[in-house]
Amino acid sequence: MSSMNLRLGRTLIYTLLIGFALIYLAPLYVMLVTSLKDIEEIRSGNLIALPEHINFSAWVKAWNSACTGSECEGLAPYFWNSVRIVIPAVLISTIIGACNGYVLAQWQFKGSNMLFGALLFGCFIPFQVILLPMAKLLAWLGLANTVVGLVGVHVVYGITFTTLFFRNYYVAIPNELVRAARLDGAGFFAIFWRIFLPMSTPIFVVTVIWQFTQIWNDFLFGVVYSGPGTQPITVALNNLVNTSVGGKEYNVDMAAAIIAALPTLLVYLVAGKYFVRGLTAGAVKG
Amino acid sequence: MGAITIQELTKSYGETQVLKGIDLAINDGEFLILVGPSGCGKSTLMNCIAGLEDITSGELFIGDDNVTTVNPKDRDIAMVFQSYALYPTMTVERNIRFGLEMRKYPKAEIDSTVKDVAKLLQIEHLLDRKPSQLSGGQRQRVAMGRALARSPRVFLFDEPLSNLDAKLRVEMRTEIKKLHKRLGTTIVYVTHDQVEAMTLADRIAVMKDGVVQQFGTPYEIYNDPANRFVADFMGSPAMNFIECTVKDGNIIIESGGQHHEVKVPGTEALKSSGLDSVVLGLRPEMITEPKPHSDSGYISQMSLNVLVTEPTGPDTLAFGEWNGQEMQARLSPEVGVKAETEGKVEIQVDTGKAVLFDPKTGARI
Repeated sequence: MSSMNLRLGRTLIYTLLIGFALIYLAPLYVMLVTSLKDIEEIRSGNLIALPEHINFSAWVKAWNSACTGSECEGLAPYFWNSVRIVIPAVLISTIIGACNGYVLAQWQFKGSNMLFGALLFGCFIPFQVILLPMAKLLAWLGLANTVVGLVGVHVVYGITFTTLFFRNYYVAIPNELVRAARLDGAGFFAIFWRIFLPMSTPIFVVTVIWQFTQIWNDFLFGVVYSGPGTQPITVALNNLVNTSVGGKEYNVDMAAAIIAALPTLLVYLVAGKYFVRGLTAGAVKG
Repeated sequence: MGAITIQELTKSYGETQVLKGIDLAINDGEFLILVGPSGCGKSTLMNCIAGLEDITSGELFIGDDNVTTVNPKDRDIAMVFQSYALYPTMTVERNIRFGLEMRKYPKAEIDSTVKDVAKLLQIEHLLDRKPSQLSGGQRQRVAMGRALARSPRVFLFDEPLSNLDAKLRVEMRTEIKKLHKRLGTTIVYVTHDQVEAMTLADRIAVMKDGVVQQFGTPYEIYNDPANRFVADFMGSPAMNFIECTVKDGNIIIESGGQHHEVKVPGTEALKSSGLDSVVLGLRPEMITEPKPHSDSGYISQMSLNVLVTEPTGPDTLAFGEWNGQEMQARLSPEVGVKAETEGKVEIQVDTGKAVLFDPKTGARI
């Protein structure tokens, strides 16, 4: 009797899980299917039907010839703009965050908790609040509409989060480790470089995933602080979707959206594996 | 070389004074133990010696060098931590090498030092492992190896055995003592375990509330405690403290329904103190079944009503009452069994090593 109940419960749980998974995946399915159809089939056919024949032309067009406003070069140039913004911004903000976290967790000084509190406050400042002052500042520095300026904005905005991540990770490491290393003759940076960084893989991966996703997906800073040649892919995607020459090309729009989302998906898939591995390797403390 | 002189050292955190004027002189090659209950300042004192905490006032010398404000790495000391503090991402070998590499020793010298240390501590087979793959005892050895590799002037041990199980703790204790015999380097060792203190130390500093209560050899600390705190803290089972009235320089003990006038050392001091009641401090091993041939001149016989007994193996502790206050005697296992069944036992009390304290201040008389 009870095994019957158990099986019934199991079936119910799996049915629910599969049901929700389908609902969750449905938009992705529609995007994918639509991007592989030609425009005729989209107009006449069913939204969720599989394509009659697979057609990659929408992808090619989205990548290199779709119009984003007056330019008709596809997403490719903007994709590389995003890469040029995201990579330095992620690396710099992560490294600074690691340094900050190391100091705030292991080398406490008078007022270090106050400073940490102030930094945390930065996590709660909405983007919109700093738009104008930041624009002024960038103009004054001569960095308006440049990749460097955008990287700078993302770094400054990201430091609060990266510092928080690293500080909370390092605060769990016993201070005796620093003491032992000091007696062994290691200085501030030697201890950071030789002892703390090697055990930071899990938090590095977490921080990189977080920062990459945030900065790659950012639209507001991208649209406000970029110029004609420095727009990131999110801005280009918006322009592409809003520019219609003739009819609406849903297949191109869908392909472009997937292209814009691919890198974050990839980072998560690749780094997620290291994330889990890093966690288990660091779980047993010495 | 490795002598340590501490002069009027104080340490404060803001308004709170943690160390209140410590004076200690530790000879070269001596094994000093800092012992006391938690919060007594013993670890702070050790961190001050290491240079990991700044000294508020006073001076600290290692050998002839005034190191009061010297950077920890330049004090020529090595420390073994309670949590071992092994670098988790490095192998055992890299852990041992680290301090030498940081000090830019030549590679050939590092190689041979690591080999020697590993051999001495029998950790040669562990050199390629990470700390997480070691047992508690092995980690302890590696931590000691890391300290040994630099052959410093002074070793500091901060409760190194407190994370080990009871059996391993006893083994490592012996090993540390052997190591000290062999190396002859000064050791300062912090513990809250009075057995460790007694067994390892050349001299013990008993601390309480940031003040050294007594500084002396284990024998002095055990047999000639400076005050009631030291007498109570050192020794297991703990010393009996019985409040007694004084009569003509002797003290009165009521046991088994009878009053006994007992002679104690220091009659004159007791008389001149003018106190009419004192606290008698007497270790349980001085209260036994009657034994032939024991005559220190301070032997009394009496009977004791036994409330409960606790056999420990080699002997049995019997709990009874003197002057209505709980006390314990240390009987042989055979007598212990008899005492338990009869609820009464004839005992011999040797007050030759009894100590007397002022009931109000706890000071020795």
